[in-house]
Amino acid sequence: MTAVVTSGKRRSTAVWATFALPGVAWLVAFFLVSVYAVMAVAFGSVDPLLRTTVPQWNPLQWDYAAMRNVLDRVFGGDLGHVFVRTGAFVGSALLGCIVVGYPVAYFVARKAHRHRGLLLVALVLPFWISYLMRMLAWANLLQPDGYVNRILSWLPFFDTHRTWLDGDWYTVVIGLVYGYVPFFILPLYATLERIDGRLIEAGRDLGASSFSTFVHVTLPLSIPGLMAASVITILPMCGDYYTNTYLSRGSPRTEMVGNQIDYFLRNSSQPQTGASLVLLLMAFLFVLMVYYLVITVRQQRAAER
Amino acid sequence: MRSSRRDFLARSVQMGVLLGAGVPLLQACGGDTQRTKVSKPIADGLQPEKGPLRIINYDDYVSPDVIADFEREYGVSVEITIITTDSEATTKLASGAIQADVHHSIANYTVGALVERGWLQPLNKSYLTNRGNVLANFDDPWYDAGSTYTVPYTFFGTGLGYRRDRIDPADVEADGWDALWNATGFKGQVSVLDDEREALVMAMLRRGLTDVNTTDQAVIDQALADLVELIDSVNVKVNIQGYQDLPEGTSTIAQVWSADPVTGAINYLPEGVPAEVLGFWHPPAGEYVVANDNIGIVSNAANPVLAHLYIDYLLDNAVSEKNFSYLGYLPALTKLDADYLIGQGYVPEHLRNCVPTSEEIAQALVFKPLSNEGRALYETAWSKFKTGG
Repeated sequence: MTAVVTSGKRRSTAVWATFALPGVAWLVAFFLVSVYAVMAVAFGSVDPLLRTTVPQWNPLQWDYAAMRNVLDRVFGGDLGHVFVRTGAFVGSALLGCIVVGYPVAYFVARKAHRHRGLLLVALVLPFWISYLMRMLAWANLLQPDGYVNRILSWLPFFDTHRTWLDGDWYTVVIGLVYGYVPFFILPLYATLERIDGRLIEAGRDLGASSFSTFVHVTLPLSIPGLMAASVITILPMCGDYYTNTYLSRGSPRTEMVGNQIDYFLRNSSQPQTGASLVLLLMAFLFVLMVYYLVITVRQQRAAER
Repeated sequence: MRSSRRDFLARSVQMGVLLGAGVPLLQACGGDTQRTKVSKPIADGLQPEKGPLRIINYDDYVSPDVIADFEREYGVSVEITIITTDSEATTKLASGAIQADVHHSIANYTVGALVERGWLQPLNKSYLTNRGNVLANFDDPWYDAGSTYTVPYTFFGTGLGYRRDRIDPADVEADGWDALWNATGFKGQVSVLDDEREALVMAMLRRGLTDVNTTDQAVIDQALADLVELIDSVNVKVNIQGYQDLPEGTSTIAQVWSADPVTGAINYLPEGVPAEVLGFWHPPAGEYVVANDNIGIVSNAANPVLAHLYIDYLLDNAVSEKNFSYLGYLPALTKLDADYLIGQGYVPEHLRNCVPTSEEIAQALVFKPLSNEGRALYETAWSKFKTGG
């Protein structure tokens, strides 16, 4: 009897494994191989005449000089600022996404009722327009004589000659929030929508106010969604380099890690430095991902108990 | 479910096999950088191929009308692959990512490397009936002896573009490069070119140093310090948008290429703003950096004859004039000098100095190719500047 059950289980595992195969092959081809290629560039060399990358595919011949140089510049050197600045921009933008995105996700998931479909379409709508186009549109809106200043001029107490595109951190953060908030709302919406309404009702029945029900029931149950949404927005924001470029017209005050990667990989004779920065950024993000996975697994275990 | 040690080993082996198979494949993608110089041009009198003619070029760096005219005249189609930097073009060409006939915009300092590595073929001048239209300065340029592999496309000097309605032209003339450092009243409206050599060399020229190919660490460090000063004093921007930002008024003074004010006057002035608001200053001959882009034919071009005909077409005075009216970037043709372009109304009289004279070209400072170590000094300094100092 036991043997039959086990073999049946095995067969179904094999079936699922077959289904997973194309995805796994895809990941291997486009993730593992490309990461390996980045390593081959980072630890490779450069053609002395053409200044083009000569990747070193053999790990035994890797040259770590560029990585050492990058580590020196990051820990205790000038590139350290750029990592800190990138972290600060991303952190502020994440905070902005939570402030803007959470209420929207909550409303659509729990209060919108029959308008939900329409609102979801509205949330997906920005994806129809290229991110770059949307940033260029912001650059226009924020010009000294742009619509933002014109609208502000109707309000009292506002300096209507405010220059937004002069390399100020808040303009970049606004741009990042605007650009990534849809990515934040959707996973959060999915979690909030799945919260069992009876739990909330139970909270109310037991005498909690609606605010206190939110704080003690809804908010804790939405943490996994909040975490997933944060990860999904943090990862691409850390590599962003066009939002700040367009919204500060290339001010050194808003330089992010992504700009340095772009410069070294595309426009210099030191692609190894660019690739090393990519690996370093990945290492930072990897730590973040592991933390996220640990938390998620812990929560799942707690829920199963 | 925990996997057994044997499973783990089996998977590792499978992974190893997969990676093992991948490496030679990846190696193949690396491209072949060890080609040798091509020294024989195509034969005389060949019939043009059927195309399509494939061109590598920057975006918007040739008039679409000129391309359409060429297609009509020769009954072929033209495909343009857009690149954003000179080094991107080299990388893509050398890795085989782009197959092309014509490389439309090769920087001076890249010509030699492309020739040495066998990526350009010598031109057969019997096809270039309009070669005589080119300025004599380019008959034997330093980067391509005897103009064997390239013809010049456009040329330009590096100077300051500024708003004459906000800064007194007499002040800019008196201050020179210092005008950029003195623009403290225009914070956020000041920019330098997004190019490490242009910007750092500007800082050197400001201090009277004219060795624009120096690899002296102390000189580069000083230039970096001078540029960093601009971050706080004038909230400097780093971009190549001067041609648009000056006419639109978001910029007041900017390091630009001499073609930028002309392009700006032709294409970017808002309605009601006269061209007189745009000004240009450049250093005197002998301290003036002048550069040009070049057209060449890729060594493994599928359409080499057609490529010759295309280059010849561009060297025609009338075609070149049409191209200029779109681009604003000066073609290196004798006929299209300052007097002619001003007479035709393309260039406002007060921007006459945007057209480098023959003497200025002859005495120009030029960016020569640097060793990788030399370049790295500039690149690292530039990376530091862009981090905010």
